[in-house]
Amino acid sequence: MKITILNGDNKSNGNFTGYISELSKILATENTIEVFDLNKMNLKFCTGCWSCWWKTPGECAMKDDAGIIFRSVINSDLLIFASPLTAGFTSSELKKITDRLIVLIHPYIEVRNDEFHHKKRYDKYPEIAVIVEKNSDTDDEDLEIISDIYKRLAINFHSSLKFFKTTDDDGVKEISLAITSTKTQKTQKV
Amino acid sequence: MSLAIINGSPRGLKSNSELLMRNFIEGYCNIIPRIPEQLFLAKASDLAGIPDKIKTSQNIIVIFPLYTDCMPGIVMQFFEDAYESGILNSKNVGFIVQSGFPESKHSVFVERYLEKLCRRLNCNYLGTVIKAGVEGIRIQPPSMTKKLFAAFSLLGEEFAKTGEFDRTIKDQLMGRYEFTGATIGLLKIISKTGAFNMYWNKKLKENNAFKLRNSNPYSEFRN
Repeated sequence: MKITILNGDNKSNGNFTGYISELSKILATENTIEVFDLNKMNLKFCTGCWSCWWKTPGECAMKDDAGIIFRSVINSDLLIFASPLTAGFTSSELKKITDRLIVLIHPYIEVRNDEFHHKKRYDKYPEIAVIVEKNSDTDDEDLEIISDIYKRLAINFHSSLKFFKTTDDDGVKEISLAITSTKTQKTQKV
Repeated sequence: MSLAIINGSPRGLKSNSELLMRNFIEGYCNIIPRIPEQLFLAKASDLAGIPDKIKTSQNIIVIFPLYTDCMPGIVMQFFEDAYESGILNSKNVGFIVQSGFPESKHSVFVERYLEKLCRRLNCNYLGTVIKAGVEGIRIQPPSMTKKLFAAFSLLGEEFAKTGEFDRTIKDQLMGRYEFTGATIGLLKIISKTGAFNMYWNKKLKENNAFKLRNSNPYSEFRN
C-alpha cells in the first residue's frame, strides 16, 4: 500500500514530528511511505486564481514544491492529514496545502448523494485518515467538529474518512494497526 | 461604533467577498457616515496593520470563501495569530462565509468551528452569515445580482444600527439548506445534461483550455 503523510507540525523537531517519524518507520516495513514535513518545504498559499481549473486544467500555476505532493497524494492508497491542534483546528501549514488539493478535482459540478459536489478528475482517490495532537485546551467538542469537517472534505475528495486518531489516545502501534486494518479492508473489497 | 472588516479571500481585492462587503459597507455608511476599513489577509501590505486596526475596533467582521469545506489557509493563519496574541479577546466578532455551492449545507460545519473559536478566544460571537451560490457574481449582469447586493446593503445598515446581524436578513441570505424531494430529482437530471457547467466551459474556452479540461497530469498511470 502507498501512504502519503502530510505533516503540518509548525515546529521542525517537535514531539509531533517525532511521533510521525516513528510511525512512518513502522509503516515502511510493509508499505511505501512518503512523509512531507510541510514547514520545511517551499509552499505558497492558494491565491484562488483557478488556473488549475480553467487555464492549465489539473495543473497548479504556482512554482513551488506542491507538485511533488500532488503527485504523491493522487497516486496513494491512503492520505494521512497529520497535525498538532492550534486554535481548535489543524495547522495553517496543513490547511495551506489542503486548499491546493483542489487541483486534483474537476471544476464541473454534479449531484452526488443528493448534494452538489465537484466531479472527479482522476479515476481513483486515496482514502483519508487524520492524526492530531491535542492542545492543552482541546476538548471532545473540538475533536467532533474537526472530524466532521474532514468527513466533508473526504466527500468532496471522492473518498471517505477511514479513521480520526489523536496521538494522546493512540500510540504509533495502535495507529499502525488502524492503517493495517484499512489495508485489509481494501484487500477484502478486491 | 468602530468596525474593522477582515477579508480572508485568497483573491483579495478581486474577490467575491470584497464585492459583497462593498455593498455591506454602503448600507453601513447610510447610518454611520464613516467608512469602516476593509483589510485583506491576501494583501501583504495590509498584514502589518491588522493588529492595530483590531485594537481600535470593538467590532470585527471576518469574511471568507469556503475552501475545501473550511476556512482558507490564510484565515487559519490569522486565527492562529489571534489565538497566540489574544488580540480578539473581549471583541464582538462576526463571520460571513460565502461559497459557490448552491446549498448552504456545505458551510454549516465551519460555522460550528467559528462559534467554538469565539468561546476559545473569549470574544462575543455575533453569529455567522452563510451565503451560498456566490460564484460568478463578478461577471453577472446587475439584474442577477441586484437582490443579493441589496440584501448585503441592508445587512450592513442593520449592523450599523444594532451591532448585530439581522436575523431575518441572515435567514434570507442563508437560502436553501439542501435540496430534497422532486427538486433534487430534477436537479440530478439537469446535472447529467451538463447545464451546470456552462460557466466553467465558457472560462475554459476563453483560455483555449477546453480540450484539456479532463487532464490528469499528476497521475503515474496515464499514457
